[in-house]
Amino acid sequence: MSYEVMVGNKATAVGCKLARVRVAAVFPITPQTTITEYLSEIHASGELPGFEFVNAEGELSSQVIVQAATAVGARSFTCTSGPGLLYMHHPMQETASKRLPLVMAVVHRGVKSMQPDHSDLMSQQWQGWLHIYVENAQEILDTTVMAYKIAEDKRIRLPVAIGYDGYVLSYTAEPVEIPAQEEVDKFLPPYKPMPSILPDQVDPKTFGAGWGEGDPMKPWQMHHEAALNGETVIKEVFAEWGEKFGRTYGNGMIEPYRVEGADCVITAMGTIAGTATAAIDKLWADGKKIGLVKIRSFLPFPRKDFQEIAKSVGAIGVFDRSCQPGMWGPVYHQMRSTLYDEDKKVPIIGFIGGLSGKEVRVGDMYKIGEKTLKVAKGGKPEAPIQWV
Amino acid sequence: MSTQRMTRAQVPMEEMILAPGSTCQGCGAAMAARLTFKVLGPNLIRHGIPCCPDQVSKHPRAGAVFEGGGASLTGTARGLKALGRTDVKAVGFFGDGGTYDIGFQGLSAAAERNENILVITKDNEAYMNTGGQRSGGTPKYAETTTNPVGPNSRGKSEPKKNIPMIFAAHYVPYIATASVAFPEDLMQKVKYAKDIEGFRMILIQSPCPVGWRFDPAKTVELARAGVQAGVWPLYEIEHGTTFKLNYKPKELKPVSEYLKPQSRFRHMTEVEVNEIQASVTANWQRLLKADEMKTVVL
Amino acid sequence: MHGRGGQGAVTASRIIATAAYEEGKYSQAIPMYGTERRGAPLTAYVRIDDRRVRERELVHNPDISLCFDPLISLQQAVANDLKPHGQVLLNVPFSPEKSELAGNINIATVDATSIALETLGRPITNTALLGAFSKATGVVKIESVEKAIKKYFPGRLGDMNIAAVRKSYEKVSPWVPAKNKVAPKMQVDLNVGGYGTLKDVSSWRVFYPVVDEEKCIGCKTCWIFCPEAALEWKENNKPAMIDRACKGCGVCANECPVKAIEMKRVEGA
Repeated sequence: MSYEVMVGNKATAVGCKLARVRVAAVFPITPQTTITEYLSEIHASGELPGFEFVNAEGELSSQVIVQAATAVGARSFTCTSGPGLLYMHHPMQETASKRLPLVMAVVHRGVKSMQPDHSDLMSQQWQGWLHIYVENAQEILDTTVMAYKIAEDKRIRLPVAIGYDGYVLSYTAEPVEIPAQEEVDKFLPPYKPMPSILPDQVDPKTFGAGWGEGDPMKPWQMHHEAALNGETVIKEVFAEWGEKFGRTYGNGMIEPYRVEGADCVITAMGTIAGTATAAIDKLWADGKKIGLVKIRSFLPFPRKDFQEIAKSVGAIGVFDRSCQPGMWGPVYHQMRSTLYDEDKKVPIIGFIGGLSGKEVRVGDMYKIGEKTLKVAKGGKPEAPIQWV
Repeated sequence: MSTQRMTRAQVPMEEMILAPGSTCQGCGAAMAARLTFKVLGPNLIRHGIPCCPDQVSKHPRAGAVFEGGGASLTGTARGLKALGRTDVKAVGFFGDGGTYDIGFQGLSAAAERNENILVITKDNEAYMNTGGQRSGGTPKYAETTTNPVGPNSRGKSEPKKNIPMIFAAHYVPYIATASVAFPEDLMQKVKYAKDIEGFRMILIQSPCPVGWRFDPAKTVELARAGVQAGVWPLYEIEHGTTFKLNYKPKELKPVSEYLKPQSRFRHMTEVEVNEIQASVTANWQRLLKADEMKTVVL
Repeated sequence: MHGRGGQGAVTASRIIATAAYEEGKYSQAIPMYGTERRGAPLTAYVRIDDRRVRERELVHNPDISLCFDPLISLQQAVANDLKPHGQVLLNVPFSPEKSELAGNINIATVDATSIALETLGRPITNTALLGAFSKATGVVKIESVEKAIKKYFPGRLGDMNIAAVRKSYEKVSPWVPAKNKVAPKMQVDLNVGGYGTLKDVSSWRVFYPVVDEEKCIGCKTCWIFCPEAALEWKENNKPAMIDRACKGCGVCANECPVKAIEMKRVEGA
């Protein structure tokens, strides 16, 4: 094991190298751009043997290129931000529908500003991918490697998007421990496509099959079930990583912070969850017992975990870094839907903040904690959903 | 350049398509597919994008979004290279919409990167799979379902995009045009292109009885008339410069022999036919000059 | 409504829907969704009601079945799933007593192909069946059909089609109960559309190639140009049609340099 002080985008590139990515197809867009440069350096230096690096002419093509490369059996990677992700929208559905297990880094950039929020990845909820949100450079590196193991698991066979905030993480340097290649190789075996489309390995009976034969809904059902399997597989893979490399991120689906004995919890994703831990410490120091649940996997949503947490807390304050105009925040809706059937009704209040890169400070999260605690103690919220 | 010419006796007897397919009667694109895959053999991954169904072949298939033909071939070629399986060819069989229009950006980029791919375009000069709407491959004055003839319209008002020359200008190893009416020439070109390293493209004019509105029995006759009139000349270009005209009659037939049997041109006046004749003749003179100089003349 | 791509069955369904609306009824004409190919069998559906039709599933148990194609008219599939005493109107050149279609159904026939050839000069049978439909079923009056046709075919083309309607109105046979009550076990599936490889397209053909082996010089011109690989090259160096694969396009006969292939009309087509 070694370490290096590196920016979030470099952690992504190093993660790709450790995962022995065979094909990367990329197109530059701020704040993702430097990933493309780090990957081109890895290619130019020859340090990753057999690595194919494609300078695509746009995000749509970069997505299609890694799709096709994954289909022939090459572990593949791409990355983008905000508008680039929206441009990928069309082929992204095909990546998931064809059950191609590639990994993509989404360096958050808002749709109304170049500054980050989660509106880019949140807008892709119906594409059938797994969505994991991470908080720091170490978590980026570790999750990039783990994401391949999750995506390629035969119970999943779906692409994984790893979302992290632009600038404050993508361009921010911090020390990152780099696991040894041999250890990573033991953790992540080479990728074998299922089924293969190589002419000498494919089943010739599949040629000439008619279009639209069979129940057209069956692939949807199977896709949905595979996505739900994420809850099991993500926990397994993260547990194994923890055992082998000594670093854990909660159970992989969620990462709780000082939840035990708390009167209520607030939730956050990505870098804001990190900032929130400082607010939580202050709240406890001030005698206010409030926990934080960092949501790592938004898709699938950690239903079981929150149903468990809801049993012991008096209120949940949900922080959304995106807003669907006319429908509020997506995490808020998921949370309410998740807990609707529970016998014990826990009040859930929503907070929307950090949109278009508006800075979310420790004090903001402190106030959110206080407001949630007030509701847990029987008080009325000022509004069911509030702008931070 | 492909110096040899294939003879009828050399045409492989083995069929690589799984006929009958779901095309219309007398489909030119189905002919193009049958002839193409006969020479390509089994060791390839076939790429498709939305287009008319032509023929299913005995190959594994990689499908992509309509605009993704060039990128999909790129991904396959690079993936195969990374895996050390360069024996397997990445072959695209696309329509004119996926080449001239919505797929153009990705194909142009793949050509510029000189990806190791073979692109075959069955050019039926409109969006036939959706019922015959205009594409960048539709010739001037052709009536399509989105260029109906009326007081404000004479059919398509712009000439067909010169896509072989545009791709030649990417300085790629091999570009060729072919016609279903000249099967040996077509198959020889496919055979030659198969083993070249880098970006190769063959454009095959494939008459569509439904969209061009003619008797399905006349598909080959019409394709032949197009070549003999110089409307669809057969040539090869290597590395964006070296040029060879493959079919040079002593005298071109009049374009009217090609236009007349097609109802999509039936509204054309004599003046309009003469205009097409003039542009075809001028283009033919350029091609003859290019052939003589062995270099592209624009 | 059963026909094949190019016969105008979809247009016919819209003409009936229009004619019904002319008579103060609501209507709905649904084409079978999917890919329509010239020559390929296809189905369209019409519903007529006194109020706006809101049901949008396909018609699975029709009151009336119309067949625009003489070969499809021979297939039991067109009579299956009809309501009891349902009506089947066929485009065939023989009387309803001769039809082999089975079931608790009534059959009427008209030679719409001949009528179309006489009035339009082309075997587009849609309007040539609509007059028969009006007379035999009474669902819509012939005047309404004519009015509707004028909306779809203005000018001279409309007049020619109206002539076809009038002729078929006169020529349609009366209803006759089917002589066979039990449908045969072996049936041809009419649903051969869609993408991919099709099992059998022999039902697409109106003409089929017949090779004169005496004239044939074994040059393989027909073989090389066949879009469907539907000509088998025999050991005697002569071609033969592969029955399930030939769509009857006629390219082989057109290209044969010694005119050794003749396109013969399929019997009954």
